[in-house]
Amino acid sequence: MTLADVARSKIHYKILSFFHENQASLDSPKGIATWIREERTPVKKALEDLVKMEILVAHRSSSMTGYSYTTDQKLIKQIQRLLEKKR
Amino acid sequence: MNTGNVMDLDREILERLKESKSLENEKACFGNCLDSIGWWIVEKIPANLHELKQLIAKNSNGFGAYFTKNRVSLEPIRQALLESSTTKRVEKFSCSDDLHGFVYPLTIRDKISGFIGTLYTRKDIDTSIINIFSSFTDTVVMEVEKEYELAKLHETVRPRAIALSTVHTVHRLISSTLDLNELLPRIARLSLQIIRANRCSIKLVDSTRKVLLPKTTVDLREKKTRLKKVRIGRWAPGKSVKLSKPVRGERYLAVPLIDEDVIGVITIYDKIDRKPFTAYDEEIMTTLAEQAVIAIKNAQLYKEQEKLTLGGIKSLAAVLDAHRPIRHTPKLSLHKITLLIGQKLSMDEHELRCLEYAAVLHDAGQLVVPEEVLRKPTKLTGQEYELVKEHPERSVKIIKPIRTLKAVIPIILHHHENYNGSGYPKGLKGEQIPLGARIMAVVDAFEAMITKRPYRKPMDIDDAIEEIRKNSGTQFDPKVVTVFLQIIKKHDIRSMLEKEIDDAR
Repeated sequence: MTLADVARSKIHYKILSFFHENQASLDSPKGIATWIREERTPVKKALEDLVKMEILVAHRSSSMTGYSYTTDQKLIKQIQRLLEKKR
Repeated sequence: MNTGNVMDLDREILERLKESKSLENEKACFGNCLDSIGWWIVEKIPANLHELKQLIAKNSNGFGAYFTKNRVSLEPIRQALLESSTTKRVEKFSCSDDLHGFVYPLTIRDKISGFIGTLYTRKDIDTSIINIFSSFTDTVVMEVEKEYELAKLHETVRPRAIALSTVHTVHRLISSTLDLNELLPRIARLSLQIIRANRCSIKLVDSTRKVLLPKTTVDLREKKTRLKKVRIGRWAPGKSVKLSKPVRGERYLAVPLIDEDVIGVITIYDKIDRKPFTAYDEEIMTTLAEQAVIAIKNAQLYKEQEKLTLGGIKSLAAVLDAHRPIRHTPKLSLHKITLLIGQKLSMDEHELRCLEYAAVLHDAGQLVVPEEVLRKPTKLTGQEYELVKEHPERSVKIIKPIRTLKAVIPIILHHHENYNGSGYPKGLKGEQIPLGARIMAVVDAFEAMITKRPYRKPMDIDDAIEEIRKNSGTQFDPKVVTVFLQIIKKHDIRSMLEKEIDDAR
């Protein structure tokens, strides 16, 4: 999956926008699904896709996984450009 | 200052009103009833007629251009505006024979914040229509006002709700482990994520309460991190502990971990965006530190409890050793082999700990087997063998009251089950036998073969290994045997085992 693919998928794009706007957020799939008003199962899958792309960081524990935004400034700038273009 | 803000808010609502769909509908609806061709909205009563002309022209969507070209006195409009600001009702005006209209004040948050006006209406407008108009306008203003408040509320509440959700997630993540070695780096990483900083270090107060001991440092920029002790009272972390309150600078933020007393400090350095740390960061980190201190205390208590359990197990093992006929077994090597097999078979920390306890306690049941039976130099009778076979169940009876050893019970109970189902006490086979018990079965049998028994000499290590290999798939799990053979082949393990056997002789 590439950044362009992320922009084409509604859920991936909504998650990306959410984390870009709330860079200090760290939330569970359920929480993120609530913020972006989507179903939890596809959100969970999309979150893992974004982790593979290193856009999100997964904090895994025995009982849950929390997701947060990348701290890579270069990647954040690329995402910024993508979001501006899309708007 | 406040007045200014209030005025800004009213202006914002007025701007929204001008763009609102409901007002458009109102204009369309009353436009037909009133034969009006022009609508305008002004924020204030202009100081002079020229300004009024300009304002109406500007705010009347184009038709004002036609209107400004004609030499008409607008004084009646100004008068109507003044009157309506007092009466708060619709006030009609007539500027010429064909220029009639009315104005109505727009009341936002109980205050007149502007006026809506019409031009070129019929001269005599029915009062009932005017009443409906004023009610309709009030409703539209109220609707826009509510929409605005809702949008503002969403704008203010949402970031706080997201922050609250973050704190809740962090709490769940840090409460899910009781292992300090895992917990502290996790707290550090989570702190960096939510504050968006580059480095986090956690230090705990030592027993002398003079020094802060470095426990973990996570740096997103460097792979290697230095762990430095800090005297209480020095540098940001030391000062934060001494003062029992956060210490904030442009490039650092130290927040104390306070239980009944200060137990340590979390310090964050260098925000990723290079901005200075803010009061908001301090607030978030203080909340996180409150959660962290509970998790750290729980982990410390758990560690203490584990030490107590281990102490109890060791005492029990000492009693058991005193009772056993074979006192000199290569315990250390066999424990190491047992744990290495567990690790190789991907057991987690908890499972490995259970395996370790089981390795010490698996023969505790022999305490209730008469000593003359255990030390008997000749072959056991059928009745005596039945007695020995009961030892796994008896071991379980001994350790059952210790609740923390609950997970160890299946390993002890089934460590004499055979892979093909011919063992005891339940005759379980294959994967029915818990993995820990299958590992114990191999190591226990190996131990029995290489140590001296009252009725036979110890077997040579290589012969014992061969015996284990021969019984793979029948008595023992072939997967466990494969791993056992890999481990026992290792030079350091073999040397350790041989040295321990030699020392015992």
